[in-house]
Amino acid sequence: MDNTSVRMAVSGTAQLDVPETNPAAYTPGPATTSLAEILERILDKGIVIAGDIKIDLLDIELLTIRLRLFVSSVETARKAGIDWWTTDPALSSRAAEHALARENEELRERLKELEQSGSGSGASRSGGSAKEKERT
Amino acid sequence: MTSTAAARSTSLLCVFAICRSRTAAGLPAELPTGLPAGTGHARGGPLTVLPIGDSLAALVQEVPAEEFTEQALQQRLADQSTLEACARAHHAAVSAAAALGPVVPLPLATLFTDRHRARSVLAESLERFHRVLNRTEGRVEWAVKVHLRRDSRPAAEPSPPEPAPAGPGAGRAYLSRVRGREQDRLSRQDAARAAAARVHDAVRGVAAGSVQRRPHGPRVTGNDRLQVMNAAYLVEEARGPELAALVRIMREEVALSGVDVDLSGPWVPYSFAEDVEDAEDAELAGERT
Repeated sequence: MDNTSVRMAVSGTAQLDVPETNPAAYTPGPATTSLAEILERILDKGIVIAGDIKIDLLDIELLTIRLRLFVSSVETARKAGIDWWTTDPALSSRAAEHALARENEELRERLKELEQSGSGSGASRSGGSAKEKERT
Repeated sequence: MTSTAAARSTSLLCVFAICRSRTAAGLPAELPTGLPAGTGHARGGPLTVLPIGDSLAALVQEVPAEEFTEQALQQRLADQSTLEACARAHHAAVSAAAALGPVVPLPLATLFTDRHRARSVLAESLERFHRVLNRTEGRVEWAVKVHLRRDSRPAAEPSPPEPAPAGPGAGRAYLSRVRGREQDRLSRQDAARAAAARVHDAVRGVAAGSVQRRPHGPRVTGNDRLQVMNAAYLVEEARGPELAALVRIMREEVALSGVDVDLSGPWVPYSFAEDVEDAEDAELAGERT
């Protein structure tokens, strides 16, 4: 999957401002609801039940897609000033735990990428640097 | 649609959501009223209701086993278009059920080998399901996002500095201009951050709970906007118009500083489907990075 396909799939929905509709009707139409909004809800939320098929939704490939959709590092977010809630005492301890877990995920992902690009060709290396640019 | 006989040996059971039996009551055993035909995963059977315990039911669908094994899923979900199709199918099924009554949405791809397995595993969580249903009943989720437009300039921006004179002092003047631009950028971000905090405080006033999510990156927002807040609020259904009016007011209030406020919803209360037992709303686990 290349970057273009990701962009195509999510472009045009990002500036969505859904009209204030009847609250009883859950009809956020497929054409008007961004994939990122759906994914962050159906992957991360809810009661997790251990099903018979052990699919790790943080599987490395899927994680790559998710990282492309969201701010890719806590540090980037912090630099961008996205940290005001960390000063909220009710939120900060959970936030710190969560941030640490995320950072770990991202570092593992990054390590794997580096290992792959280390053994791969120059092409994969340039792919890695393009990705690096995205993150900053 | 697979034949029942074939489906039995080659299918898995996908569970979308848990609801109260009385929500499911009166629905036919297959294809519950109100759920559009074809809702659910592609190439799966009809959506059906599976009783769990005395008073709950699960919204389930038989899906082709070969597409939903661990290996198959890892491959399929790594493909952007398949991931999107699965995500939207899941979301549509959960949303359709939620239109009939409160639901506990389960994560994408919660799968069991058969109905008996699903029943026995889900029955272990009856109390958790009841707690979530009680908490979210009559409430919906609204998403509020705050963006800073990157091209925006504060209203009181000074006019561009005079061209720097060549010769001694030019380097210093250049650095000073660079510093000025950086400070301008930071102060705009500060302003946006402050605006987001004001929006959050205002919206929290009409909400029963809130979750701060990880802001979307430029791939979602576009390069012209920096997302500074991505929040979800649990709001009484009846207070929807009040929330909308409030967001309109906040939007006008912050528009001059180059800040957009977007409202989306109503969503099934996905972000509030966690079992919080006696935790406060503000303590809900969420993405607070």
